[in-house]
Amino acid sequence: MSRVIGIDLGTTNSCVSVVENGQSTVIPNSGGYKTTPSMFGISQDGKRLVGHLAKRQAITNARNTIFAAKRLIGRRFDDPEVQKSIDLSPYEIVRGPNDDPRIKVGGKTFTCPEISGIILREMKRVAEEYLSETVQEAVITVPAYFNDTQRQCTKDAGKIAGLEVLRIINEPTAAALSYGMNRQGDEKIAVYDLGGGTFDISILEMSDGVIEVLATSGNTFLGGEDFDRRIVQHLVEWFEETEDMDLRGDTMALQRLKDASEKAKCDLSMRDVVEINLPFIASDAEGPRHLNYELTRENLENLVHDVVEGTLKSVEQCCVDAGVQAQDIDQVVLVGGQTRMPLVQKRVTEYFGKRPHKGVNPDEVVGLGAAVQAAALLDNDNDMLLLDVTPLSLGIGTYGGHFARLIERNTTVPVSKGHIFTTTRDDQSAVKIRVLQGESDMAAENDLLGEFVLSGIRPAPKGEPEIEVSFDIDANGIVSVSARDLATGKEQSITVSSTGTLSDSEIDEIIQEHDLYEVQLKD
Amino acid sequence: MFPAWSNGSSVLADATDHMEQVLALVSGCDGTQLVSSAAEGYLFSRIDGATPWRLLREIGGIPPEEVDACLARWLGEGWLEVVGGADASTESASETASESDAEANQAPPVDAAEAPPAAPVSIDESVLDEALEIDLDVQRRILEYEASLGRPYHELLGVQPGAQPKDVKRAYFKLSKEFHPDRYFRKEIGNYGERLDRIFKKVLEAHEILSDPELCQVQNQPAESAPEASPVDAAAVPESPAAGTTPDAEARPAKPRPLTKLERLKQRMPFKINHAAIAARRAQADEIFRAAQTSQQAGRLQEAEASIRIAISFDPGRSEFKEALGSLKIAAAGARAANLLAKPSDRMSDSELFEALRLLEDVLPYRPHDPELNERAGRICLRLEKWDEAREYIETLLIRQPESASAHTMLGRIHKEQGDLDEAVSCFERALKFDEEDLEARRALAAVRIGARDAARGGETS
Repeated sequence: MSRVIGIDLGTTNSCVSVVENGQSTVIPNSGGYKTTPSMFGISQDGKRLVGHLAKRQAITNARNTIFAAKRLIGRRFDDPEVQKSIDLSPYEIVRGPNDDPRIKVGGKTFTCPEISGIILREMKRVAEEYLSETVQEAVITVPAYFNDTQRQCTKDAGKIAGLEVLRIINEPTAAALSYGMNRQGDEKIAVYDLGGGTFDISILEMSDGVIEVLATSGNTFLGGEDFDRRIVQHLVEWFEETEDMDLRGDTMALQRLKDASEKAKCDLSMRDVVEINLPFIASDAEGPRHLNYELTRENLENLVHDVVEGTLKSVEQCCVDAGVQAQDIDQVVLVGGQTRMPLVQKRVTEYFGKRPHKGVNPDEVVGLGAAVQAAALLDNDNDMLLLDVTPLSLGIGTYGGHFARLIERNTTVPVSKGHIFTTTRDDQSAVKIRVLQGESDMAAENDLLGEFVLSGIRPAPKGEPEIEVSFDIDANGIVSVSARDLATGKEQSITVSSTGTLSDSEIDEIIQEHDLYEVQLKD
Repeated sequence: MFPAWSNGSSVLADATDHMEQVLALVSGCDGTQLVSSAAEGYLFSRIDGATPWRLLREIGGIPPEEVDACLARWLGEGWLEVVGGADASTESASETASESDAEANQAPPVDAAEAPPAAPVSIDESVLDEALEIDLDVQRRILEYEASLGRPYHELLGVQPGAQPKDVKRAYFKLSKEFHPDRYFRKEIGNYGERLDRIFKKVLEAHEILSDPELCQVQNQPAESAPEASPVDAAAVPESPAAGTTPDAEARPAKPRPLTKLERLKQRMPFKINHAAIAARRAQADEIFRAAQTSQQAGRLQEAEASIRIAISFDPGRSEFKEALGSLKIAAAGARAANLLAKPSDRMSDSELFEALRLLEDVLPYRPHDPELNERAGRICLRLEKWDEAREYIETLLIRQPESASAHTMLGRIHKEQGDLDEAVSCFERALKFDEEDLEARRALAAVRIGARDAARGGETS
């Protein structure tokens, strides 16, 4: 049997791992790096470049180098996140026929699952080279907040890469799995994941290899980029004060400020003071202006203090949801580059009253966990069991546009739940069951997964008929919904199949095209 | 523990006889607890106290063997009764149940890890299949456990009534390790997959309820008196033992009394909301929102925006937060946006128009029905000749301000551009009806009429 790999498909970097002899290992690429940039580009002479090769040409050929495609995957073109990316990306993002964002480089338009597929294919290749055997199956991680469409698109990307995706699991869960492997006894773990654009906190409970997610909370608007933005804002204000010049309208200057701020932020994790030096940042009638500023760690900490405190509010909420106290947590696992910041580590330590776990690398822990889940599913010797959860609440739309939640998010699967509903009009003979997914109390703000009508309800005064609606999620996350009139026993049901932004035939076309391309390469 | 089951399977063995048996629901049984698939639900709905077993096998949508298995199981768990002369067996069932439970009571399962199924359950050996990638012993264990899913929750988990959450959790984990479908991922296990699914869901439910003190209290009432309750009673009537019921087998009614509607609704316990957590979440959202307002008043807009977003993530259902974020975004976009939005759209350059539209699109999701924003967006789209979008904005505006002459005029212009002259004329006329002084409408109407006349003339001459 060929081996199954675990892939952390990151926004900036990806990482592939495998479990060998009961140990999970990160697989280095041919350059010896443990992570590979999630980048794809087309060179000046029309060659397709992935990973480090693509990153190398990013500066000279920015228009034809794609990065951070994960921000776009599974979203609609009109999504604010996509619009934001359009403003910030040097490459061209266009509206696809399915209202999905597509990326145009080297005169060709790529869909987002295709880009992710190319990166996954590269990770697959890295693994095959290392293992000296073909790899056909993988477990892939996604952020906890990813919705059904985004997850399905990631699955489609796997398919395009020639991988069968056994499971999609959440990044924080994967981190906990990696931590929990080969560990006995009962423990409660908090996974604090502060990445580039989002913040996630998960609390999990572990006992003899069984891992259960107790609660997940977080903020999709908050992340390392907020830290950068605060520095930029500070520098712009300072420049305005000292030079009496407003840089806000100057996109070029802002981009340079952003890059410099990010670098300064990273450096300040190791040093106490850095110099930000940006010559010729702007010019006016009096000639060119330069920006030269000394940023201290204390300085930075004052700027971002409230952002870090904001994450702790989410942590507190997560503890409430999980029904635990901060001091009950036995181990804190840090994930994401931003957790290298001393202030973050300090506040997390203070909050939980214990130092974060040092044994894991925040960049590799997620990929390792994906490999652990792959082994747990297929390897008879592996005794781990992940009690996975639904990422989003499920329910139906009810009278007045409200959303009735039948399965709350973070509910362990497989699960069945039911509730009784009734009619709103006298002699109503049919009800429409609209199956929705999301966290809003308003039906309209949630995603419609499917709908069906239960008819033939016996005429009765409103509120009298009893219609039982049951939700069922199996271990693979497939949702089916049924409605039954308890008086007549009449029943209707649907199985909700999640769809990505591409149809099956579109995916097949892409696969064929990529196979063709592989053949061309060998010529 | 379930003599009724052995009854059922002995009936099963006598294949010719039981086919003519007519089954009926035990009163008070509504099936929520036992139906785990649509097919089973369908079968369940056909049990009417008149149709014989033989015909139930032919209802379609569910294979006859499964019908047999299902009916035998329900019969075994005491949900069904055979019409005519079944009472005796139900009676003996409850008596024997009390005996075996009494035994179990003498040697209570102290350690969850060690708790065996409360009593031997006879299973249908013919279901065992050596060809499957699952040991026969394990198959037996699965069948036994499945056959006894009707037990009270604490017995299912093998813990004592009122067990500590820690013990409940440990038992749940242990059973998960045994029965979670992922344990047999990709294994050839025949219909054991569905059985595992059913078992795990029940175990999950038991854990959920036993680890919640509030739910546990309601559910535990029958559980505490379980020793004298037949499985039928325990499973179907979680709330029936009223205060004053003595723990005495004879004192109990042989059959559960019919449930009131409220009781039946309450029984569907799985629909559970953690009100305390939601309340805490909302309170926190309010607090963060107040902090945001303080920041906003102090002019720290970025901080305010970050706080409001945190508040939204705490309580995504609250529209006032989203509105506040919308107005904050307008404020945060600063002087530039204010200038852009104040400038009449007629005097904007194309790039300014695009920028203004982007700002508006950014803000509109927060105030989708704001007439002023919609009007402005509509005007800008008109200038940019994005007719469909303009129409959408203006139609939204008209919902709020149906008597706005300028909106009707704009709609008319769109219809005109899109070639629907008749509709355009009626729009302009409507505009004039609401405001006789609307110059734009007057002119546009005249232009259309002249155009139409010219076209007509042109048609005549050619």
